Amino acid sequence: MEFFTVSLINGTIYGLLLFMVSAGLTLIFGMMGVLNFAHTSFYMIGAYLAYSLQKVVGFWPAIIIAPIIVGFLGVVVERFFLRRVHKYGHAHELLVTFGLSFIIAELIKLFFGNYPVNYQVPASLNFAAFQLFGTNYPFYRVMMGGISLLMFGLIFLLLSRTRVGIVVRSAIYRPKMAEALGHNVPLVFMGVFGVGAGLAGLAGAVAGAFYTTNPNMALELGVLVFVVVVIGGLGSLEGAMVASILIGLISSFAVGVDLTAADLLAYVGAGNWAQQVGGLLTLKVSSLAATIPFALMLLVLLVRPSGLMGEKE
Amino acid sequence: MPGFLSATLLNAAIQMLIAALFASAFNVLAGQGGMLSFGHCAYYGIGAFATLHAMNAFSGQGLLPTPLLPVFGAIGGAVTGLAAGWFSTKRSGVYFSMITLALAELLHALAPHLKSVFGGEAGVPSMRMPAWGFTFGSAAEVYYLTLAWVVVSLALLYFFTRTPLGRLTLGLRENAHRLKFLGYNVHMARVMVFVISATFAGIAGGLLAMSNEAANYSLFEVRLSSEVVLNSYIGGVGVFFGPALGAAVMTFFGYAVSDLTRSWLLYQGIIFVAVMMFMPSGLSGIVAWWQGSKQSAATLLRYMLGWTAGTLVSAAGVVFTVELLQRLMADDYQFSLVAGRAWPAIQLFGRAWLPGAITTWLLPVALLAIGIALLKFTSARWQALNDTEAA
Repeated sequence: MEFFTVSLINGTIYGLLLFMVSAGLTLIFGMMGVLNFAHTSFYMIGAYLAYSLQKVVGFWPAIIIAPIIVGFLGVVVERFFLRRVHKYGHAHELLVTFGLSFIIAELIKLFFGNYPVNYQVPASLNFAAFQLFGTNYPFYRVMMGGISLLMFGLIFLLLSRTRVGIVVRSAIYRPKMAEALGHNVPLVFMGVFGVGAGLAGLAGAVAGAFYTTNPNMALELGVLVFVVVVIGGLGSLEGAMVASILIGLISSFAVGVDLTAADLLAYVGAGNWAQQVGGLLTLKVSSLAATIPFALMLLVLLVRPSGLMGEKE
Repeated sequence: MPGFLSATLLNAAIQMLIAALFASAFNVLAGQGGMLSFGHCAYYGIGAFATLHAMNAFSGQGLLPTPLLPVFGAIGGAVTGLAAGWFSTKRSGVYFSMITLALAELLHALAPHLKSVFGGEAGVPSMRMPAWGFTFGSAAEVYYLTLAWVVVSLALLYFFTRTPLGRLTLGLRENAHRLKFLGYNVHMARVMVFVISATFAGIAGGLLAMSNEAANYSLFEVRLSSEVVLNSYIGGVGVFFGPALGAAVMTFFGYAVSDLTRSWLLYQGIIFVAVMMFMPSGLSGIVAWWQGSKQSAATLLRYMLGWTAGTLVSAAGVVFTVELLQRLMADDYQFSLVAGRAWPAIQLFGRAWLPGAITTWLLPVALLAIGIALLKFTSARWQALNDTEAA
């Protein structure tokens, strides 16, 4: 029961964090058809910026300023890089963001070194939120989940209840029509790209303090975020939410499971055979935790190629 | 050629050949088929391991002497390519890219746990056994072996582009819908192209295994997959030999530069983005531009010189800034700082530069400004020339 509850909470919060990063990505993807390979680089920049800023201005201002700077960077990338190569097609836009992610990672290594930096939860926030089976549950974790939920609510309300939301959604689904109606679609694209980057930056600034802030964090999360987008479906915010939580829960539960495929086969009497075969069959689920999201993705592709909540192509 | 080269250069040449084959195999899928794979290291790596296991199993004896062992790389690549291709080609476009990336990551996450296959941290070692009167002990013999394999493979790949399926590959890139209406099974065609690409990537991996006599699961890192993407597009995917050219040039560049600076990967990234932004068809695009232009050779040469000069000057500015920053941010320099005292000078290019002085930073900025001005000026002139032609 303890394992179950703790894994449930941890998984949900990790999933919410994944959502914070993938929300911007899936919005940009749905709108421009561009898969932004540099998206998790914005997440990394957010963490490093917040780390540098909190030494000067304190934790809370850093958490607020860093995403704004990252959002501005996103605008620059859209305006001066992506828009320039737009005429060469989607593959080119993808490749440019890919190259940018490369450059950003190398620049981070240039400025901060090739090892994790000491970005920590401030002492004022480092207390227990509640007791769980005799152990303290950190408040900061709960706060990360709260920020993500708040963000989901705000984006959802913004998109579904305001005029800006109507314009953005119409620009996503029918850009030509929106343009014909007199809306400045390139400006909307730039805005969404900036906001998406800013959201990733916020996720980095918040999560960097809890997890480690190192030059590989973009790459580690990058692949996972793509898996979220594939499972969730093209440009679907709700799909991204469901997929994020799903992956968060699965990774959090899998780490604690010491079963192997051979153990399961033992129930049907094939345990000894499986032990002899070895290989995949005798690997513990916990050691496979990192591979489960990919397996899940393959499963979803087989059953529902357009993703859980994506539209049919 | 090996007679004139030192051992290290010969090794670099082997690496260049392997990279060229890998990039060409990648290009069949990405450039010709329009399927941008971000996980091609999976088939390369599998090819390497398959060859290593074959080297250990057969010891270069009997029907399968050492020179033929990269065949196992091809088989390994083809089999994994079939499985991975079947999944990933269910979707197209960016989804395809993400799936290939995730599949490679899956393999990368799985490989360390499968010690019997991938040898864990230590990897799988092997030995090149003598066969056909060669000992394969010297780099020169390995070079000729690699050269032979690469030439034959490239010829086969080139021949493939002439076959009906090869022509169909271009159709997959241009308009898959139309192929479907014409009655082709698009999914099967995609899988076949994927398998061919993975097969030759496997051969490249097998050649790497032959030359290194060992491999471990680091072959499945994203780094390798991204390198082949960067190389191919820098060379230009529109032309058959473009990616091979790009891979050879960048491998040699890396070999020459990586000893000089720690920021080599940063330069690679900058080169890639610059090529994508300003030379969308890559290095081989220059040849097409030269041949396709109606201007006289002298005029073309003049403009080419203008652009080259501009590029070199701005590159000097970028290199200067990066190297200065790199030394400035390095740990030993940062620890040598004493609060309240001026920052000590940095040794760079045989001179001492004071990081506090404006002149130090003025130089790279000036270089960049001059370089960009040269490029803009040349481009504007070129534009004007073409406009008057058109009018």
